[in-house]
Amino acid sequence: MGAPVQNLASRAQKSSLAEGGISAKRHNRHLFSNTMFRYYFLFSILALCLVLGLVIVFIGKTALLLFDNISPLDFFFSFNWSPEEEAFGAAAFIVNTLSLTALTLLIAVPVSVGMAVLCAEIAPKWLKSFIRPVLDLLVGIPSIVYGYLGLTVLLPFLRRVSGEGLGDGLLAAALVLALMVLPTICRISDDAIVAVPRKYRDAAYALGSTRLQVIMRVVLPAASRGIISAVILGMTRAVGETMAVVMVIGNTPQLAKTLFTPSSVLTSNIVMQISNVEFDSTWNYALHMMAFLLLLISFVLILIIRILGRNRRDAA
Amino acid sequence: MKVFKKLTVTALTAVIAVTASFAGIAAAADSLKGKITVNGSTALLPLTLQAAKEFQKLHPKVKIAASGKGSVTGPQAVKKGIADIGACDWDASIDVPGFKAFDGQVANKVAVIPFATIVNKNVGVDNLTTEQLQGIYSGKITNWKEVGGSDASIVVVTRAFGSGTRVNYQAKALAGGDIVKKEKNYKETGSSGDMKTAVATTPNAIGYIDLVYVSGSEIKAVKFNGVAATTDNVINGSYKIWAYGYYMTKGQPTGATKEFIDYVQSKKFQNGSLKKLKFIPIAAMKG
Repeated sequence: MGAPVQNLASRAQKSSLAEGGISAKRHNRHLFSNTMFRYYFLFSILALCLVLGLVIVFIGKTALLLFDNISPLDFFFSFNWSPEEEAFGAAAFIVNTLSLTALTLLIAVPVSVGMAVLCAEIAPKWLKSFIRPVLDLLVGIPSIVYGYLGLTVLLPFLRRVSGEGLGDGLLAAALVLALMVLPTICRISDDAIVAVPRKYRDAAYALGSTRLQVIMRVVLPAASRGIISAVILGMTRAVGETMAVVMVIGNTPQLAKTLFTPSSVLTSNIVMQISNVEFDSTWNYALHMMAFLLLLISFVLILIIRILGRNRRDAA
Repeated sequence: MKVFKKLTVTALTAVIAVTASFAGIAAAADSLKGKITVNGSTALLPLTLQAAKEFQKLHPKVKIAASGKGSVTGPQAVKKGIADIGACDWDASIDVPGFKAFDGQVANKVAVIPFATIVNKNVGVDNLTTEQLQGIYSGKITNWKEVGGSDASIVVVTRAFGSGTRVNYQAKALAGGDIVKKEKNYKETGSSGDMKTAVATTPNAIGYIDLVYVSGSEIKAVKFNGVAATTDNVINGSYKIWAYGYYMTKGQPTGATKEFIDYVQSKKFQNGSLKKLKFIPIAAMKG
């Protein structure tokens, strides 16, 4: 931003020297519009910060009322969520959310990075120009559509394969989520790999590397920062996704002991119950605390991956 | 949340006010004025919207804003003064399982809502008794062969705790029996639509739903204690799984609110639009 502004200003100054009075006006006008734009940009970022701040304050305020009624120990470490008995232990949802996210990434990351490598390095041009638009299209599909497909196509399939009566559970949810985050991770990784300078590859080939060696030892490490931010984006989508998960996870407040135990995560439990709670009840506060927790979980996960990314860069 | 809700109500009011003022040009002059806000049960929402449309034709100066979220939000909104009428699937002036009574509120009956036990089309059983349903929902009966079907695990589908349909089903069909969560073959759904889809797509599934939703070949309604789930059987008293839908008000309704409730309870509306929407008129139950 700084350089062009200065450039403009100095140009305005030069011309004002040459042409006298009329250009002084122009100079002032440029100065004015530059200042205005600076305020506009400042205003934009402040507006965003304000909204984020309000979200945190309002959710947090209602959420913290919870601890007037029950102890934080009960909320974070009890696995018993029975609103009808005034028991609000959210440990099961927290563990389920983390394991669902981990499982999703486990399925999605290898596949999507593989696809990104294919798109960026290996595929012929016609295939690239086919895959990329298709992936862009997939990013835009609303989550309820994925959820409905999960419910009507994936669940019957899982039932047949596993012999379970229901099929709902972590595995079904993770598969749906993996499909959802796959295009996001793939497209951003793809861009990161394409951005790796050609001279790196040339140097590696010149040293006698095979194509696999170039991809694994040179291109992927060089693109790792971009790939990590792709994974972060995919992960936050997986943590926060609600509609698709609600349709295939079974929505039963209990710990997912197996891949096919009907269970519930933070998001799905909030959306299932929020319309049935009384405003001033412990139950409502507990749901708000879960929403607040989701904010924190996303924040912490992003932080962890950022730190990991930095360490790896330092080591390389 | 509360602020958001107020905003939503205001926005809805604005929209309906504009519509109403257009409708008003054509209609005759009328002395009844006022603003009525209706909040609560989604099951009763179609009825409220239809009644509001007709009522505003008669009384163009009355503005009605209706929205639906969940049964319990109805009486709550009335208590907070956000709404004049709280639509609720149960009588919120007395205690029901899970929800305390709302003091000082009056329950105005507006419709009869029948419910049905439904199963996936592959289930061979076509009649279940109260005891059998209690066994299935409490987790004591887990295989269809125990209730006269083929040898297959029963997949229990239920509504989340707090749902109006669940409150009524537990009270009437299970005679107050518990719904116990299980580690296998148990699933909760968030709405009547989800319930229908879940039972329709899951072999060996059992669930329960408003009778109006029972259609198509993927699900079928089973008899309750030998009686088929039909509106006729509800009216003649032999089918027991039904409940009144209520408009909750703070004290006795007055002014425009009273007029509106009177209109919904009138013979003209009850036997006309209400029947068309597949509810049962309240007057039918006295016979």
